[in-house]
Amino acid sequence: MANLNLTLKVWRQENAQAQGRIETYKAKNIPDEASFLEMLDIVNEELVHEGKEPIHFDHDCREGICGMCSLTINGVPHGGKKVTTCQLHMRQFKDGDTIWIEPFRAAAFPLLRDLVVDRTALDKIIAAGGFVDVRTGAAPNANNMPVRKKTADAAFDAAACIGCGACVASCKNSAAMLFTSAKAAHLNLLPQGQPEKNKRVLAMVRQMDALGFGNCTNLYECEAACPKGISVDNIAKLNRDYMIACAAEAVGVFA
Amino acid sequence: MNDIITTACKFVTSSIGRKILVALTGACLLLFLVGHLAGNMTIFGGDVAAGDRSWIDFYATGLHSMPAWLLWSIRLGLLAVALVHIVLALVLKYENYNARTHYQKEGTLKATLSSRTMVLTGLMVFCFIVFHLWQLTFNGDPANCYQHILHAFQQPVCSIFYIIAILCLMMHVRHGLQSVLQTVGLSTRKVRPLYNIVSWAFAIVVCGAFISIPVCVMLGILK
Repeated sequence: MANLNLTLKVWRQENAQAQGRIETYKAKNIPDEASFLEMLDIVNEELVHEGKEPIHFDHDCREGICGMCSLTINGVPHGGKKVTTCQLHMRQFKDGDTIWIEPFRAAAFPLLRDLVVDRTALDKIIAAGGFVDVRTGAAPNANNMPVRKKTADAAFDAAACIGCGACVASCKNSAAMLFTSAKAAHLNLLPQGQPEKNKRVLAMVRQMDALGFGNCTNLYECEAACPKGISVDNIAKLNRDYMIACAAEAVGVFA
Repeated sequence: MNDIITTACKFVTSSIGRKILVALTGACLLLFLVGHLAGNMTIFGGDVAAGDRSWIDFYATGLHSMPAWLLWSIRLGLLAVALVHIVLALVLKYENYNARTHYQKEGTLKATLSSRTMVLTGLMVFCFIVFHLWQLTFNGDPANCYQHILHAFQQPVCSIFYIIAILCLMMHVRHGLQSVLQTVGLSTRKVRPLYNIVSWAFAIVVCGAFISIPVCVMLGILK
């Protein structure tokens, strides 16, 4: 066990309208088993002791499953280690490192304060079509609806998306294609998602466009930054499904 | 009929729809590139081959002796394809620029240089095409094509400009080909590495062959 002394360059901004700036802080005596958020907690405690405003950041479960934590670390969302910021440990850094900490940036993610951004846009994409209409009632019998193993695996991999927005933040175009495609694919692959497939694809893509996200240019930066390893295969599938859905809409296959 | 028009309008204004149009026009331009290269390679037939004319002169006069309506419909078709490709790509780029707010410290994990400079290399290639058309298509004599090309590439400035432009084209095509396959939905985890190799191979072979002409002229292999 070793303790680290770090220099932090942190984005500070009082509110959405204020002019933001980078401020420098010293993080002293940080244990290397601390998570990145715990490191910020230590820095914040010191700031509070000094009577200063602590650094505001998003967090919730701190076990890598909720998608609430964000932070762009050294220009890469979640630090680019295939984990969420809460699961990123300080042993990944060296004593004396300078770490840049910025919010997830995209025009569709308005900044609220310091490192906190509003990711409601992603929820709006889900609300547009990222669901299945099913009758409630008792749980269906197991294996009542056969699903091929390969299909089930692909749907599960897509469903692993926690909606953190790292794909948008890492994208050089601020496109939300990885998020939208994963959320669409996980339903479109399964039998339960078939009846509303075309409707879902059109609604989600049109909502995504309307929210002011950029357009994908196949940089695959999203896949590399995704803490859940969501594959850009889903984007190719969404492109395919979108063409099919447009064709179906044009000939009036569904109302 | 109304449904079809409404959907078509929504398609060509959506992000994916416009991307697909850029991809399909890009694919047409890639095919044109192959055809153009096949014609160019006749220069290696030497100066005097088919009777009293070199192969490339024969090929060039052959192209020009096509019926005017056919020649001009091909030319205008290509122009339309290129314009759709360029205009839509620029519009998408403009939207992407507006969708971003920039980091103080930028970081990149995986995005290649060629993928991030598509607009730049594309515009370089466009400028090159304008010059190229002016120099060899509209100011050339098809019956004297071989000598015209030889004369052009014997000026080092011209040759170097061509080589740089084709290198830009190589970067553009390297990302472009695999990007086309992804955008039209033909890509999966299994074949993506293969597409990458194919894109590299295509870019190197096609652009290498284009570059070989000014290089051979400068080295005195073609004379």
